[in-house]
Amino acid sequence: MSELAPASYTLEYPYTRTTGPVVGRFLTALRDGQILGVRCRGRVLCPPLEFDPETGATLLPEFVPVGPGGRVVAWTWIAEPTRKHPFQTPFAFALVLLDGADTPLVHAVQAASIDEMSTGMRVRAQWRPERRQAITDVYFVPEAKAREQRLEPGKGEVEMTEHLISLSYTEPLSPHRQRYAKGLLEGRFVGQKSPASGKVYLPSKGYDPIERVRMTEKDDVVVANVGTVVAYTVITPVQYYGQKETEPYIRASILLDGSDQPLGQQDIHDLPIAEFRAGMRLRALFRPAGERDVTEIDNRWGGTGSVIERWEPTGEADVPYEKIAEHNW
Amino acid sequence: MSAEEIAIVAFAQTPAVREYPDSEASMLMDLTNQLLRETGLARSEVGFTIAGSCDYLSGLPFAFVMNVDGFGAWPPVYESHVEMDGAWALFEAWVRLQMGDVDVALVAGSGKSSPGNPREIFPLQTNPYYAAPLGLDPVSVAGIQARALLDAGRARERDFAEVVARSRRDGMANPNAQVAKDVSVDALLKEPYFAAPLRRHDLPPISDGAAAVLVARGDRARQLAKRPVWIRGIDHRIESSHLGLRDLTDSPSSRLAAEKLHIHDGPIDVAELCVRFSPEEIVLREALGLRPSTRINPSGGPLCGHPVMATGLVRVVEVARRIRDGEARRGLAHAASGPALQQNLLCLLEGGA
Amino acid sequence: MAERCAVIGIGQTRYARRRDDLSLDGLVREAALRALEDAGLDWKDLDAIVIGKAPDALEGVLMPELSLCDALGAVGKPIHRVHTAGSVGASTAISAATLVESGLYRTVLTLGYEKQSEGNATWALGGGRSGSQGAGGSFAPWIRNYIRKSGAPEHIGWKVAVKDRKNALRNPYAHLQLKDISIEKVKESPMLWDPLHFLESCPSSDGAAAMVLTDSAGAKRAPRRPAWVIAHAKRTEFSQFPGRDTVRPAAGVECAKALYAKAGIKDPLHQIDCAELYVPFSWYEPMWLEGHLFTDEGEGWKLTDSGATELGGSFPVNMSGGVLSSNPIGASGMIRCLEAASQVRGSAGEYQVEGARIALGHAYGGAAQYFAMWIVASEPAPSF
Repeated sequence: MSELAPASYTLEYPYTRTTGPVVGRFLTALRDGQILGVRCRGRVLCPPLEFDPETGATLLPEFVPVGPGGRVVAWTWIAEPTRKHPFQTPFAFALVLLDGADTPLVHAVQAASIDEMSTGMRVRAQWRPERRQAITDVYFVPEAKAREQRLEPGKGEVEMTEHLISLSYTEPLSPHRQRYAKGLLEGRFVGQKSPASGKVYLPSKGYDPIERVRMTEKDDVVVANVGTVVAYTVITPVQYYGQKETEPYIRASILLDGSDQPLGQQDIHDLPIAEFRAGMRLRALFRPAGERDVTEIDNRWGGTGSVIERWEPTGEADVPYEKIAEHNW
Repeated sequence: MSAEEIAIVAFAQTPAVREYPDSEASMLMDLTNQLLRETGLARSEVGFTIAGSCDYLSGLPFAFVMNVDGFGAWPPVYESHVEMDGAWALFEAWVRLQMGDVDVALVAGSGKSSPGNPREIFPLQTNPYYAAPLGLDPVSVAGIQARALLDAGRARERDFAEVVARSRRDGMANPNAQVAKDVSVDALLKEPYFAAPLRRHDLPPISDGAAAVLVARGDRARQLAKRPVWIRGIDHRIESSHLGLRDLTDSPSSRLAAEKLHIHDGPIDVAELCVRFSPEEIVLREALGLRPSTRINPSGGPLCGHPVMATGLVRVVEVARRIRDGEARRGLAHAASGPALQQNLLCLLEGGA
Repeated sequence: MAERCAVIGIGQTRYARRRDDLSLDGLVREAALRALEDAGLDWKDLDAIVIGKAPDALEGVLMPELSLCDALGAVGKPIHRVHTAGSVGASTAISAATLVESGLYRTVLTLGYEKQSEGNATWALGGGRSGSQGAGGSFAPWIRNYIRKSGAPEHIGWKVAVKDRKNALRNPYAHLQLKDISIEKVKESPMLWDPLHFLESCPSSDGAAAMVLTDSAGAKRAPRRPAWVIAHAKRTEFSQFPGRDTVRPAAGVECAKALYAKAGIKDPLHQIDCAELYVPFSWYEPMWLEGHLFTDEGEGWKLTDSGATELGGSFPVNMSGGVLSSNPIGASGMIRCLEAASQVRGSAGEYQVEGARIALGHAYGGAAQYFAMWIVASEPAPSF
């Protein structure tokens, strides 16, 4: 079997940040086409802060309109923007000292080429046609290229701003995790037996943490497809961004015969909740070979991907609590 | 500064590599075993363990919990964790050992930058309202800093290239370096800009790696190592998170830490600085008042390998190695965090009985 | 060389599901400014700052010491950030205490916070994946095992849930103010993770808690009564390994032993006046009473059942309302340490335990694998 594809996952959430009075005021003004600074002991700070950065004293906010024009005090030309940058074609990040402000703010300058950028050049704020009550609603251009804009003021105060943070990760499965996943594709549970303690870990993390010993392929062992429920809970799903579950279901840990570590994260939707109990004996029924999917398996989470069709009671007598008491996980 | 004599008695690091094929915990396990073997200590003789790492590098909240497997926690251990470079874990350990009731501490730093996209992750260190939504990444901020240096007449592009050429050449002698080669300054200057005035080679590589040290107090240290490397002091300081409030041509926080540590009370033979971007060396040399006689980044520095969350601790290891091996008597290790050297830590090390 | 460490100022935010009146800067400053005021100090008097919070993904802010340093008066100072999962608030307080005890720093601000309404805690606890079991889903099987092992009657959990929420009614900072809480209401609330009902579980809160710590000289100058840090301890074990006792984790037992040995305490139930224990799910009160050696194994639920842990009882637990009433994850452990300090300073207002001289603050985290606790007293060298 060839090497399995690396595990990929995206960590994504649309964060909602309440702004408080100062950032709120700034974003409200920004929505309405104006940039504000705040007065602080004789200076105008932009972007505005809630407090004096030198003394820590809370400021009684006295807002001062600044810009929309200003001067670039330092800059960099980004040849290869990231997906998170304000522009996807080359642009500049710059420290812009807006007219009326004493401190520069960092922002993006859309210029045709690096040749249009220089320290000291004049730039002017431009507002995006679609605005989201965030710092990204505005950007800068060389002053000569600036267009006149008329913005319809919005209603009310901005009290919240959103930031969708989405980060992607790709990591090849470590060698032992590869073998575990391949084993599942072949309808087998492959764990590892510690050469130091003899304990069998499934799925293994490639080492025995108690003895601090790394394990290799020669430590691989096949563990039975049948085992005992050692712990479970019934989850009533909480709805959150990305949640796919809606109905209560069982999440169980099953100690397969031959393993010293329960196989966790076994989600069971098709056995009656009222009949489920610790101590019951279950057998894993695998999906037909062509329908097994291990793409969800990565190096950190346990679980068995989408390989097991279902867990079926074997009909054997329950294992008494005392025998499984030490496997509470 | 320190009333208690605390020394590094053993140290280890993994090579910096583009992609480590197994877990952070497995790296830490190897290093822990190496340190215990070298000193003959049992795990139970380590009174305090502290690690530095970053969940966001692997994109998993609570990722740090898995790293506990690496240094061992059975039977239960007294340990803690900072979501920072291992150099700050060393700070905690050094502080903790002052109290006199713990003799030996294990310190680690580890990180795999390979799974994610650091340029997309690190903007989240900036102000959440004003900067993070712009995706303002450390490379871009370093580019701005470089421009500020050029404009202020504090450096020329050639100076940046010279840092790179020297570092990458020195890295060739470092078995743990990831990127090392002999390249001329002129050749470097012919390369296109990436975040002008920075070129790709002015940036650190993306690396996976880990480092660990054992520290011990006074006589215990003398028992455990023939040539303990004494920590004369650790100090760290931070600057504003708002770029507009900072002087990017200087490193006031490094300057302040250096003053607090009285680093110039004696010669500094070697300095390992967290130079992630070549202009940072120019800023730090000046802010720390380093003399020409100080050898800077003989390991090649982070430009040759940048295992984020271990990079600062690796600097400590590199200085400690040279002191232990007699190449240097007194050395300075520097760690940095945040965009354009926002936060800086200095660790002053010295050999001797 | 060891210095003494005293708590001379405490400050908390009002805890709520969502502090929509504040930015992140505003949230931490509300607590920090209160602590500074309580201590009679200003930002410039701080020598170092130690902050702690739970995973960064809860707010989507990476290494927040970098973006919060200005708001916390940390520019030009040492600041660092501790992260030990749910126990972080207490780990952070302990880290800050060691800065003072080392003799290297005189006056330290320590703060824990969470503005988790910006994200979603269940999402974060599930690693951003679908199907998260949250924290309750992880602990529920162990709680069921405790109940089975100890033979505890089912009402114990409900009793704790009512007690802590009633206490919270006396705490103006507490998030949950459930005036009509009752055993019936708890019983009837939806089951979240069998056997835990909704009203037996902690809320998700925004909030920050801060303390100003200083040395003996600083404590002498403080305008209000200090709370002296007598002892602290931390222990960690693996989340999972063959034979692990998840009901009575060894790390919890060891931590308590180390703490009491350091403090010179031989009979914690009688020598400690009251405790703020990290109880995010009701059954953890009896489980920690046993797991931290206040009672013998199997006897914890009996102590709870007897009423001893009520505010007027012989061993009050969670006088402030506890984690069951306010849970900004990164702050919760700090709040336990802060409330213990508040008791021995005599500043706990309507939930003051009369004559409290010795109090314990505790937190746990991860898969009940991280433990951090401290003992504070009204005197630097209390007699037991």
